[in-house]
Amino acid sequence: MEIILETNNLEKKYKDFRALNYANIHVEKGAIYGLIGKNGAGKTTLIRIICGLQEPTSGSYTIYGKDNNSGSDIIRARKRMGAIIETPSIYGEMTARDNLIEQYKLVGMPSMDGINELLKLVGLDNTGKKKAKNFSLGMKQRLGIAISLANNPDFLILDEPINGLDPQGIVEIRELILKLNKERQITILISSHYLDELSKIATHYGFLDNGSIIKEISSEELMKKMEHKLELKVSNPKDFVKYFEENKISYEVMDNKTISVYGKYNLSKFINDLSKENLVPDEIHEQEETLENYYMNLIGGEKVD
Amino acid sequence: MIKLLNAGFTRLRKNKLFWLLTLFSIVLALFMIYFRYNDMKAYEDTVAVEQLMFNYSTIIGIVMSIFTSLFLGVEYSDGAIRNKISIGHKRVNIYLSNFIVTTITSLFSFILFIIVVAIVGIPLFGGITISFSQLLMTLGCMFVTVIAYSSIFTFIAMMISNKTITAIVSIMFTFGLMMITLTCFNILNEQEYVDEYTMINGKMEVREVKNPKYPSEEKKKVCQTLVDINPVGQMIQLAEGAANIKVLPIYSLGIVVIFTGVGLVLFKKKELK
Repeated sequence: MEIILETNNLEKKYKDFRALNYANIHVEKGAIYGLIGKNGAGKTTLIRIICGLQEPTSGSYTIYGKDNNSGSDIIRARKRMGAIIETPSIYGEMTARDNLIEQYKLVGMPSMDGINELLKLVGLDNTGKKKAKNFSLGMKQRLGIAISLANNPDFLILDEPINGLDPQGIVEIRELILKLNKERQITILISSHYLDELSKIATHYGFLDNGSIIKEISSEELMKKMEHKLELKVSNPKDFVKYFEENKISYEVMDNKTISVYGKYNLSKFINDLSKENLVPDEIHEQEETLENYYMNLIGGEKVD
Repeated sequence: MIKLLNAGFTRLRKNKLFWLLTLFSIVLALFMIYFRYNDMKAYEDTVAVEQLMFNYSTIIGIVMSIFTSLFLGVEYSDGAIRNKISIGHKRVNIYLSNFIVTTITSLFSFILFIIVVAIVGIPLFGGITISFSQLLMTLGCMFVTVIAYSSIFTFIAMMISNKTITAIVSIMFTFGLMMITLTCFNILNEQEYVDEYTMINGKMEVREVKNPKYPSEEKKKVCQTLVDINPVGQMIQLAEGAANIKVLPIYSLGIVVIFTGVGLVLFKKKELK
């Protein structure tokens, strides 16, 4: 799988404060990469560095394989990117159309033909002469996304795009992101601290805490972990594994005494079936992990009830 | 660079501040013509049109400080600089394109003022009283000073990310230059001897005494250099027909090179949010 963005031990210090602590992320082509972290975890700092607004204190990153120390190569690579960092870059005194004309000129588009299509795509084709400063927050975000799409990017970076949006605005942005990923095959890096919202769109996750990526995981793997599961403490794991294999039961050996069995089972029937095979676990616990709990476990916080 | 300039001028055309500046240049020209015309009628005065043309030069610093700080301040407040960098524009080009756009706008404002004065003023007051080459030379020097002003205000706007602070610093800076210039002119205009009036036996006697405020040669040199190198001093001297007309553009170009050079180096290293 082609890697669009890769960071290698990226560090950023502001005097004595270390905002990024040797962070490593890997964004695959076609992914919607959810960068999750609480406020102050380093999400925006990471994005600012990738977008060239700030220089890392140490470490490096590559965009489309071009290293950040490669001079004009990295600048050329950024021409294939679109980004919204914190707030969308919009001239408030201009209309949506004029903002797009401005962006088209900035990226050197030969004609203005695509503007109507872009406005339609983000649902701003009927805003007429209304100035962008009078737009709702959701409309501004959508205009910001349209602006970032002006150069037909392959890679889009969205920093906290749903911050402050009302429920309808959140749905609109979510659908737009999915549409861009599915229909235009745009790889998207999206940062947020809204776990639930990210879980609806992300194909990959990077959990950022105190400036470090503490876990990178695909959506499939994460969902597996989110599944209802039984945790078995056993003294003879090989026998259990053999049984699970034969009966096509989804499981994972956690350590030499613990096996997790994924899926929803009737506990008494499950124990009964095991005992028919002379398999008796020492302990058995029924667990259901939520994304919040998983995240809190990762960062070492308390579980959410 | 071409793309940045193209976008910059597109924004300028749709910018209210630009149209306000354009209107201001026209109204100011008409306003000055009107007052000079009234003076001419009332006092049977003669008016040199070129002097009217040069009048804008004395206040253009204030006008430019307001325009440049607000126009470029938006680049930070609306996230435009962030956007330009993230889509792969070089910082050097971003800085230079902003400098070029504000310089051309300021020159446009000045030239527009001159054109209005020429179109309306020449039929009212008669032709230009100095040679055409002298007029062109003076205006050329003034234009170079406008570029120097622009390099200073672009530097301030690109270094400070806050629009309001940029405007305050730019305006204060211009007033600071004005204060320095006026102080220097006051010192330079001191007479070596002044009349001292004394009353002796009920009779007033006048005698010439050495002026204690008369500057030393060294102080005069310092003051003259200060008015020569700063754009406010240059504009006043040019408007009054300065003798050192050929030196002033060299100082202006020095300002452009220093402020733009330092600005480019600092902006390249600037950590943006």
